[in-house]
Amino acid sequence: MASQPEPMKILAPESFRQKLTRRSLFQIGGAAAGLAIVGCGSDEKKTDGTSGGSTDATTEGTGMAQATGDWSRTINKSKGTLAMYTWGDYNDPDIVGPLAETELGVSMKVDYYASNEDLITKLAASDGTSGFDIVVPTGPYIPQMVEKGLLQKLDKTLLPNMVNVDPLYLARDWDPTNDWSVCKDWGSTGWLYDTTQIKTEIKTWSDFLAACIGEGSGNCSVLDSAPNLVGMYFWANGINWTTEKKEDLDACEDYLVNQLASHIKGFESYPSSKIAEGAYSLACAWNGDARQTFVRIKDAGGDPSVWKWGLGAPATEIWMDNYSIAAGSPNVEAAHAWINWLLVPEISIKDLNYHGYHSGMKNMSQLISELYPALVDPDMIFFTDEQVKTMQTGAVNSAQDRQVEILSKVKAKAGA
Amino acid sequence: MSATVAPMRRKGWRAPKFLLAIPSMVWYTVFFVAPIAFIVLYSFGTKNTSKKGVPVSLGSLTFDNYHKVLFEPDNRNLFLTTVRIAIIATLLCLLIGVPVAYFIAFKVKEKWRGLLLAAVIVPSFTSFLIRTVAWRIPLGANGNLSKWLQEWGVMSHPISLLETQGAVQLAIVYNYLGFMILPLFVAFDRIEHGMREASKDLGAGRFSTFISVTLPLAGPGIAAGTLLTFIPMVGDYVTAVTLGGAKGYMIGKKIAEQFGEAQNWPLGSAMAVLMILAVLVVLAIGAFLVWLTPKLVALGEPWWSALRRKLHARRMASVQVRSSRPTGRVAGDPWGALFKGGLSTLSTLVLVFLFVPIALIILHSFNRGELLTLWSGHTSLKWWRRVFDFGETQTVLLLFAGIVVLGIVAASALRRFAPLGSPARAAARWLPALGFFTAFVVCGLQSQWYRDVFKDINIGDPIRNSVIAAMGATVIAVFTGGLAGVALGRHPGKWAKFFMAIIFLILVTPEIMDAVALVGWVIKVGGPFRHDIGPIKYGYMRLWMGQSLYASAVVTLIVRARLAGVDSALEEAAGDLGAPPARAFRQITLPLISSALIAGGLLSFTLCLDNTIISNLLADAGSSTFPVALIGAMAKGTPKPFYGVAAVVLFAITMAILAFLAAVLKKSGDSSSQIAATLGGG
Repeated sequence: MASQPEPMKILAPESFRQKLTRRSLFQIGGAAAGLAIVGCGSDEKKTDGTSGGSTDATTEGTGMAQATGDWSRTINKSKGTLAMYTWGDYNDPDIVGPLAETELGVSMKVDYYASNEDLITKLAASDGTSGFDIVVPTGPYIPQMVEKGLLQKLDKTLLPNMVNVDPLYLARDWDPTNDWSVCKDWGSTGWLYDTTQIKTEIKTWSDFLAACIGEGSGNCSVLDSAPNLVGMYFWANGINWTTEKKEDLDACEDYLVNQLASHIKGFESYPSSKIAEGAYSLACAWNGDARQTFVRIKDAGGDPSVWKWGLGAPATEIWMDNYSIAAGSPNVEAAHAWINWLLVPEISIKDLNYHGYHSGMKNMSQLISELYPALVDPDMIFFTDEQVKTMQTGAVNSAQDRQVEILSKVKAKAGA
Repeated sequence: MSATVAPMRRKGWRAPKFLLAIPSMVWYTVFFVAPIAFIVLYSFGTKNTSKKGVPVSLGSLTFDNYHKVLFEPDNRNLFLTTVRIAIIATLLCLLIGVPVAYFIAFKVKEKWRGLLLAAVIVPSFTSFLIRTVAWRIPLGANGNLSKWLQEWGVMSHPISLLETQGAVQLAIVYNYLGFMILPLFVAFDRIEHGMREASKDLGAGRFSTFISVTLPLAGPGIAAGTLLTFIPMVGDYVTAVTLGGAKGYMIGKKIAEQFGEAQNWPLGSAMAVLMILAVLVVLAIGAFLVWLTPKLVALGEPWWSALRRKLHARRMASVQVRSSRPTGRVAGDPWGALFKGGLSTLSTLVLVFLFVPIALIILHSFNRGELLTLWSGHTSLKWWRRVFDFGETQTVLLLFAGIVVLGIVAASALRRFAPLGSPARAAARWLPALGFFTAFVVCGLQSQWYRDVFKDINIGDPIRNSVIAAMGATVIAVFTGGLAGVALGRHPGKWAKFFMAIIFLILVTPEIMDAVALVGWVIKVGGPFRHDIGPIKYGYMRLWMGQSLYASAVVTLIVRARLAGVDSALEEAAGDLGAPPARAFRQITLPLISSALIAGGLLSFTLCLDNTIISNLLADAGSSTFPVALIGAMAKGTPKPFYGVAAVVLFAITMAILAFLAAVLKKSGDSSSQIAATLGGG
């Protein structure tokens, strides 16, 4: 699959397999097997029945070229309003707007959250009456959400296009049977800084934290998400960010509260708009939002070339977000139809072109070279094998409450 | 608030005096007292995120949460910072508000007064959230103002005010200034002219008249203005979220976070309880100072009069000196002119200041760029096109205008042709209003119109939801508040004290506290708050309930104030003539309070339309209102200019309602001052 002669980086890195799983050996075996069967050959396709007449309508509607090869392009028409609760700026405005209307007959309504904790509290507190259909939790949070009854099972017969997803991104250990979730996309974390104001090059998390306290003091933004906040400290100090050790967490709290907090200007999960407004000179950001930042700066008449992106180092996170259906969803059928539609390769890649995260489709490099050969900043979307090797999967464990408490304390200190 | 209740008591009235207040009492007990009681209970609980539903364990009650807030320095500091911001802002509002209100009340000709008052009222009743968001435009480091200031050499660096306490402080003063000026104006306006004249005749100068006559007489206005600004400032959430960043943190935001990402309801509950205690303590201190001041003044009286005498002597002497000069005609006038000039300049600047953010939002709805807050340098209609389907809009607007015009034409026809005193003639009075209302209902509820008018349902649905929510809440508020107001005005007694205490509590409880209390409560109560009943969505039920609380208290006060000004002899006469109470109510009381009901209704409609905090926590995906959508986009996404377009639409709706309100009040014989009094909370 990575056999394209393109100069583009490897698009579905081999090492991903080890990263997104904690039950390593068994899981690797399974994924590799899946890869061997489905990933390589288009001759293996079994979607003849479903990829019928509606196929052409899709691609005609989008005005996009169609990818070659054998893909499932089932479109189930639906109706009514579909409410999605998701991360900020996470879909192409067309795909959650006019296109969903014309292709599916569904009107989309979108609301945003800034962290998984936000999502879980909203769903838990409303006890099935949130009114949302689709939610987009990060992998490790899914078991907890299932246990609390916040999600409902997917009807996989309504998701025939799941065969288009690279098996590497299915059957992860938080949902081995994909009964509750389908991969939306995956990404990582790094930083952005204005080189006219931060003169010292930032190469590692230690550099980033030093710049926050030094040159960028009072002009620095960090992610409004507990694991990401503590992650910066742990990665800078060579500790895995999923650590449950009390002494690690104590040291982390001490550093973040007593040394870093007073220098922080903002807690932003999506700093791109405010960077364009001129609010920050350095910011921690997820790679897709960082990529959008350059567009925003340019759009606002600024000079994007003075801004620099860096992927977190020596270690950083790898996360995978998933489409799930909220318990009590008022329009389950449309929710399935929409998720299934997003698994049509052309739609998925159109979306990718906007949000800037690897969307988990098979044969990614082929899709990109055929559909978006001039994709902007591909190296902010697709990572090399070496980069992926430095990425650590998150975990929801006994440290969760403590992490949330640390974020809360850092905020109190920063504002005091 | 300042109106006194005439002692009314009719012989033979058998039903309990609080009969008419029962709906309000039930409503407040179930949706205010009970949920707040739960918050108090939660504040002694412990966080438990592993259980379903409300994440609080009540197994063993503890004071830990209070301990955390009071003794962890960062939490305590946050509390103190919030109170400090609110006190400074209240003082600034007073400092700016007093001269402006004084100017409008005393230095402006009657015919201009209405206009100036409108200039205070209009921005104050425009969406609070939008006005706050608007500050991001001039304060942005890459904004035009920042660029100009650098080009002109005024500043060497970009403005760096956003995401600081300074921005919050500035915007919070701006946001509440109108609510300080209005009651101050009303208080100044009520001072009898003679008092100030007498003071001057007795030889007091301008300044000493102001200090020892005008200001003390304006006491109730100062108190009302302070209440109306200080309390919501302490609980402020919108300003801190929109402009504060990490540094402009306030307790209201902290509490909301505890009920969100921090998942710590018990700690958030303890903070909320302490916040309302802090408000009550500050108010008690304020009341004590108000009580103390006259005593101190009295104590210092000998000293004061000596001083006054001395000043008077000096003034007389200077007048004599000046008048002894050949050109002494101008005695004291240069100062007077300067004083008046200064006042009018200040007032003009303040009024312009009130309008700047609104003008900026309107301008930015025509921004060609992708961000609401950053001007691209080019105008464009693209966001208007994106939001509106112009053809369909035209149809709906024409339909609306048609029905309104029909009502007006029918009214004038009846007036011309129907005989005097006939019921048709009476109906004529109400026809225009009826036409307006019908147009509203027809255009508002006609199925799918909003989908036709608005292309993007992320704008169309929230606007429609805002209107539906505000309409329902207003109906509840007018019904419960109107009845309670009549009960208070006509059948006061011991119960009234208790009832007024609850009304007072509703008015002084920061909205964020109600909001967090209701989140868990609607799930507990269930029923219509969890399941759609027929066509009525549970999301609307929640919003109607949540928004109606404050609005109902406001209507109660307005109706009570109106009845206080009217003799109850009419109702008594009706009773003596044998009319049963229900009939006396329908035929006498109701017409008496009708204008108060309409005023209260329209006022609560605008308040509900703008409701952000309660709606944000209670709305489900299907019922989220415009402020909820906008605050979501501000905090967690990219605010596109089409939010500006939607803001302009809501601005137009609010303006229409305010104009209508002014017309209704004017028709019932109110002067511009009385209209201001109504809006300023009686």
